[in-house]
Order: sequence, then C-alpha cells, then structure tokens
Amino acid sequence: MQDFVSISLVYLGVYALSAWSLNLQFGYAGIINFGWIVFQAVGAYFAAVTSLGPVTSHSYQSYIFGSSLSFPLPLIVGTLAGAVLAAILGFVVLTRKIRSDFVAVIMLVVAIISLQVVVANVSLFNGANGLSGIPQPFNGVMHLSRSGYQWFYVGWMAVICIIVYLGIEWLCRSSWGRSLRAMREDEILATHLGINVQFLRLVVFVIGGGLAAFSGALLVEFLGAWSPDAWSFVETFVVFVAVYIGGRGNNRGAFLGALLVPVIFGVFPSFLPAFGYPGLSSTLQWVVIALLWLVTFYFRPAGILPEGRLIVQRKGMPDVSSMFRRGRQNKEKSMLSEGR
Amino acid sequence: MNLYIEGIGFGIIAAASILLGAMGFTLQFGLTNVLNIGYGALMTFGAFSCYLLHVWGVNVWIAVILAGIGTSLLTLLVAKTILTVYVRKGAALFEMAMITFGVALILENTLAAVTRSNTYILNMGLEHAHSIGPIRFTTTQLILVILAVSVFILLDSFLNLTKVGKALRATAVDPDLARASGIATSRIITVAWLMSGFLCGMAGAVFTIDIFTVNAFTGDSLMPLVIVAALMGKAGSVRGAVLASLVLGIVTQVVSIAGASSYDSVVAYGALALALLANPKLLQGGLVAERVQITV
Repeated sequence: MQDFVSISLVYLGVYALSAWSLNLQFGYAGIINFGWIVFQAVGAYFAAVTSLGPVTSHSYQSYIFGSSLSFPLPLIVGTLAGAVLAAILGFVVLTRKIRSDFVAVIMLVVAIISLQVVVANVSLFNGANGLSGIPQPFNGVMHLSRSGYQWFYVGWMAVICIIVYLGIEWLCRSSWGRSLRAMREDEILATHLGINVQFLRLVVFVIGGGLAAFSGALLVEFLGAWSPDAWSFVETFVVFVAVYIGGRGNNRGAFLGALLVPVIFGVFPSFLPAFGYPGLSSTLQWVVIALLWLVTFYFRPAGILPEGRLIVQRKGMPDVSSMFRRGRQNKEKSMLSEGR
Repeated sequence: MNLYIEGIGFGIIAAASILLGAMGFTLQFGLTNVLNIGYGALMTFGAFSCYLLHVWGVNVWIAVILAGIGTSLLTLLVAKTILTVYVRKGAALFEMAMITFGVALILENTLAAVTRSNTYILNMGLEHAHSIGPIRFTTTQLILVILAVSVFILLDSFLNLTKVGKALRATAVDPDLARASGIATSRIITVAWLMSGFLCGMAGAVFTIDIFTVNAFTGDSLMPLVIVAALMGKAGSVRGAVLASLVLGIVTQVVSIAGASSYDSVVAYGALALALLANPKLLQGGLVAERVQITV
C-alpha cells in the first residue's frame, strides 16, 4: 500500500516537470510541440547509456556510448542531449513561418520517425527491448530497502521540483517572461518593440526541451529501465491535456494539471485490481482521458487555473493598476497578477 | 534492376489505399481547414465495416462501397455534433486538431475494448498471380488499383465539370465570397464531409483487403502516410494528393525492397520534410493555407 503512494508521488514530480516544460514551450511561447515525448525519451536514453557502463561481449543489451559516470553527470548529459535536440529541431522547424497545426504535425511526425528509428536500429538503444539494469543513484551507498529508497526518491523529486518551480517562476515573471507573452500574443508588435522573436522562440524551445529531458533522466534513474513502450507519441497528448486542463500560461495551473490528469487517471488505475479482460483498464484509460479533455475544453477552455491578467506597475509611474481593479484595496506592488 | 521495377509495382498497389485516403483528407482539410487527426480512426471504422460485411457473406467489393457509405455517415455525425460545437466555442486551429485527436482516441480505444484488441484476418481465399514483366500481382490487387484510379477519375471530373464540384472548389478557396455569391456553404460543407468520409471508409477497407488483417488500430498505420500525401499536394487539390500518394507509395516500397524495410516510412517523411522546408510555397498553398478561419 505504501509503495502505491510513494510511486505515485514520484510520478507526480516527473509529470510536474513535464507539464512545466510543455507549459514553457506552449503556454508561454505558443510553440506547439506535439513531439514533446521525444525530448523526455532522449533525456532518459542518454542518462541511461552514460550510467550503464560500456558494452562488453557479455552484455545482453547493446547501446551507444556506454560509460559509467557517477551521480549527477548522467542527469546533466541527459538534459544537455534534450537541449541539443531541441536546438537542432527548433532551428530547422521554428525559424520558418509555418502555421500552428502544421508545426504540430511536423513535430508529431518527428516523434513517429524517432520511434521507428530506435526500434529498427538495435545498436542505438537496444531497439524494442529497451535498456534495463540502469543503476539508481546513491543506492549502493545508502543500503536502503526498496520502499525506503522510493521514499528517498520522493524527497529528491520534491527538492528538484521546488527548485525548478522557483526557477521557472522567476524566469516567467522577469522581463524575459513578459517578452515571451508578448511574442505569443502579437508577434508583429513584439518584433516592432525590439524583441528578437526567432531567437527567443528558439531559446524557449531549448529550455523546454532540456527540462523535458531532465524529467526523463530522473524517471529512468528511478525506474531502472526504459523502452519504446514508454514513449509512444500518444503520451504527448496526456501532457498537453494536463497543461490545458490545469491552465496554460501559468505554472501553478500546469502543476494542477500534472496532479489531475496523468497521476489520477494514469497511475492510480494501474494499482487497482483488474476487471474485465487483461488490458481493458489501460485501453479505457485513454477513453477517459480523451473524454476529460473534451468535456473540460468545452466547459472551461482556459483551464481550471487560468492565466491571470498581468499588470506591471513600476514604482514612480502613475498608478495604472487602479484602472483594472474592481473594488479592492489600493496596494503598492511592483507587479500584480489579477484573476478574471 | 528487376527488383526495383517490382518495387514500383508494389508501390502502385500500396499507393491505391493511400490515394483514396489522401483524396478524402485533402477534401476535408481544404474545405474546412480542420486538420482531422481522427481520420485514422474513421479509416479503422471503414476497415472493420468491410471486414464484418465480408464475414457476413457480402461480396467484398460491395462491402467496400458499403463501408464507405457507413463511414461517410459517421464522419458527418462527428463533424456536425462534435466539431461544430467546438468551433462555435471559438477553438483555434491547433485546438481543433487536438479535439480530433481526442475523438480518435475515444473511437479507437472503444473499438479496442469491444474487440479485446484482437486482430482479425480478412480471408480472400487463394489467388492466382499474374505478371506484367517482373511485376507480379493478384487479381485482387489489380481490382484495387483499378478501383482507386476510377474513383480518382470520377472525383476529378465531379470537381471540375459539375456545378456542385465548382461550388466545392469555390468554398475551399474563400468561403465568405462563396457564400456571398449565393452558394449554400453549409450544404456544400455537408457534401464535403460525406464525400471525404466515403473516401476515408473506402481507403480503410481497401487497406485491409491489401494487408489481410484488421484491428482497432489499423487506421493508425495508414494515417501518417495519408496525411503526408495530402499535405504534400496543395490543400484541397485532389490531383496533388494523388501524385503525392503515388510518390510515397513507390518510395516506401522501393526502399523496403532495397533492404531497409524498417526505414521505409522514415524516407517518406523525410521526403515530406524536405519538400515542405525547401518549398515554402507548398506550405502556404496559395490562399488556403493562410486561412485561420475554420468552416465546419
């Protein structure tokens, strides 16, 4: 019973990072990355191959690289791999004027191609069987029981999530974040204001990709294994739904989405006792997630926690915030965020 | 060399199902501007209807037509109930694509739940093989190709020679102007949904006959190629879709025969990516692709 809670919490952390990364790309910058799952997979694979050790003649799996780097390095390598992939893809796809759903289709096709390439090319990442036996960090040193280690990982994920959340909030509340929103709302106007839209879009894509890869690396170090089943292109849909339902354009909303969608509908049912024929509950899960998406988008298209109106009040300038306030006390703040 | 000619032969046969699907998709997309990712689920429905009818004893070619009719009705239902609702709510282009993805998930997974994710085999019986030079094919495959070609010729003449066809093309280019010129655009769009649904169902049925199997996710294996073929041609242009389907079919089969069968789709998508990125006009597609308006 305890395992169920600790594992769900770890998944919550991973999905929170995923939602934040997608929210950065999509909610703040308006880039529709429908191949998002590839970044998570890249982070997982690269973290795995840099901690598994070299391929010997006794190995039962084959993969590229193969070094045994110690603790934080596989995570860093995984994150960098995701960032590099995002830079390449972003440079090729984002620097052209392509309409939004075409970008989505191109990224989806990238995800499909990557899946095929990895499955076909066994020497890359061990093909359809995937990688296993990935060492979990600190396990050899601490000698914890299995559930003890899971709770340790919960604490580790919590620390990481808090740091990432603070980092992203700081980024998005800064003038850089405001440029992102300007770019999303009205690109031509943003360009006239001097914002380098192409470059900004690329930078956001890279940061989002790196964060997605980071989440993948963390997940693979917890699970100890990773295979193509874990990253079919439909998984991107789940994260998109999480961001949409929770509320895009704000990180608390993204976290709420991460709580609701993947954890409640993805992880919990897998712990319930089986009913119907084997595999029925995982098939029905997709129906439930899709229904949830359709219903929520109908009733609350902005999400449960919509992005508030952002009013920037500089000290010394006339108080514009009073124009937007509805009957609240006048307070001096340097930046306000007002709900609807 | 003979091997490659065989590959071209297989490619033409494979292109038959892609062709039907791409024509339907480009009609839908050109007229309504909705990128219908649920197209694959509808093709699966067509494939299953054809399989069921065949099992119940209907002649397989009549089953293909009936599957097309059934899918056209389902497409119209989905379009008028679900898609219209969200367009009225003000969904943007990408959100409509996600909605169709949601509909696809519901349709396919409900089907998978009902069929317990089984794969069924469409038994056409033993066939005689014919050959033209190094190209070998069965009677069924010949009929499939002839069917696809005749449907294309019918559709092309319909679009170019009849009044309804001209109204369709006019609505595809500029719905507001068409409406102002006296064309009943809502009726035209209904016709478009029905026609593209019919083509979609036929594509699924033809694909199933070609590969002999059907399961809840059959449409998903055909759908990426269909969407790629439809997008490579100008949106709304049936001839472009046909040409692109031929190219894709032949390329995938030739690559398969050349030995890298697991990379066949990769080459096809790579061809699309190169074509799109090298020729920005293909993406703009004239007036159609710049439209943000969704007409459902």
